[in-house]
Amino acid sequence: MTDEIESIMSQAARLESLGTVARRQGEEVAADAYFRDALALALEAANQATYGGSHPTRLDTLRAAVRFALDCGEVTEARRLMDGAFSAEASIKFQDEWAQLHDATAWPDTWLIAAVRRDPPDVQALEALANRYWKPLFGRCQLLTLNHQKASDLAQEAWCRVLRRRHALKPGGNFPAYLTRIATNLWRDGYRSALRAGPMADHRLESLDAAHPNEDGESVALVDRIPDLKALSPEDQTLLAMDIDEALEHLTPQLREVLVARFITGESCAEIGQRYGRTEQSISGWVRQALREMKLHLEAASRGAAVKA
Amino acid sequence: MSSKIPIEELLRWRAARAEAEAPPAPRAARLLEMARPWWEIRPERFQAFVERLGRIQVACGHAMGEPRQSRSGHPVPTLIVRAVEELETSVRVLYLNVRDGRLRLRFQLDAATAQAQERFDVTFVSDKPERPLLSATAIFSLDGEYRIDTELSEELAHGWEPLKVTDRMPFRLILCSDKDGG
Repeated sequence: MTDEIESIMSQAARLESLGTVARRQGEEVAADAYFRDALALALEAANQATYGGSHPTRLDTLRAAVRFALDCGEVTEARRLMDGAFSAEASIKFQDEWAQLHDATAWPDTWLIAAVRRDPPDVQALEALANRYWKPLFGRCQLLTLNHQKASDLAQEAWCRVLRRRHALKPGGNFPAYLTRIATNLWRDGYRSALRAGPMADHRLESLDAAHPNEDGESVALVDRIPDLKALSPEDQTLLAMDIDEALEHLTPQLREVLVARFITGESCAEIGQRYGRTEQSISGWVRQALREMKLHLEAASRGAAVKA
Repeated sequence: MSSKIPIEELLRWRAARAEAEAPPAPRAARLLEMARPWWEIRPERFQAFVERLGRIQVACGHAMGEPRQSRSGHPVPTLIVRAVEELETSVRVLYLNVRDGRLRLRFQLDAATAQAQERFDVTFVSDKPERPLLSATAIFSLDGEYRIDTELSEELAHGWEPLKVTDRMPFRLILCSDKDGG
């Protein structure tokens, strides 16, 4: 690498670092500008390498340029640069670093989201992003709706909402958490609407704020015939899934949502409290209440099954 | 042998099972098609609604110029689009708050035309130029109001943050009974 090319590339690397920091801090406009400047420098370096540098130097600068292009969501430009590199040296296509750049399913969320934010959004990037998070999203939606079709509709609607506001997506943010939050908000709007229960729901929430006994409600004793979840027969798994769904159905929607947020999404009581405008202690009380109700229902179902057997 | 399985483990097991039974992810092209707002799919319909909104503005221009002495502000020209009818009316904004990029809005339909409906898909239309600004769901509450709580683009959040409920609203509304623009 000539001194001049090296100097240009170290400038580009500095800009990339600044862009990464800005992105992490949610300053997407600044991040985008840094990455674009880095891309311009890398292209200049690649151009110089073409006419006065070595072949490996040219490929190195092109690879950096591809990375910067993907950082700012310029997928078409990234593909053009990759095609240029592959025609200059076909064998690199199979090298790990290039293969990862070429395969959208291997891209980190930041690149996929940067590509989806653009107009028009990159279809391959969207495909990869949707596939990456579809199943976890569906799983949460299933636990909220307790219905396969409704879960599928809710998950799709969440994606539609995200896409309608895709320009506001933050590539440095926590995308799966955002997607889950959109789905949860949609579901909450749905049940509020269905119940038309503004004041009633408030009343129910207030009642949940009452002090709860500090008991260990977090474990449920299952009958002897179910020693281990992994050892269950397919039929027993189906029955257990039905029992869990039924127990969840008996919870108020708020309690169900809080349980999913706490144990499936992994949010802390403080984080859930922020969304609800409640204290950490209140949410902790809701969680205990929900667990206690689940426990009662599951034990009753378990006893019923034992009697039938 | 008796075993105790924590409920959180049961929930995770249930979620994993649901994930395993998930239908295939929708294709990107389908998601993009589904995400298109109704005014992009049916621009001629949007244009027709906007023209009608303009007529409502003329009809109740006087009322909009002089807000009543109450906590609520100017009437907002509104077109209600249902499967079988379209109604020209107005709504009264009762509460408006823009904070942290979210809009929280409560409004009431004009009593003469009000026919309670569980929810509306609300399209906000700017005055001039007449263009769609956003769409959101308004949910009817027991106290006879519609409530909207939605995320705003940075541009709208910045522009609407200083708005007070007594200000003349920089938008008109199309209330559709479904999200496809009626």
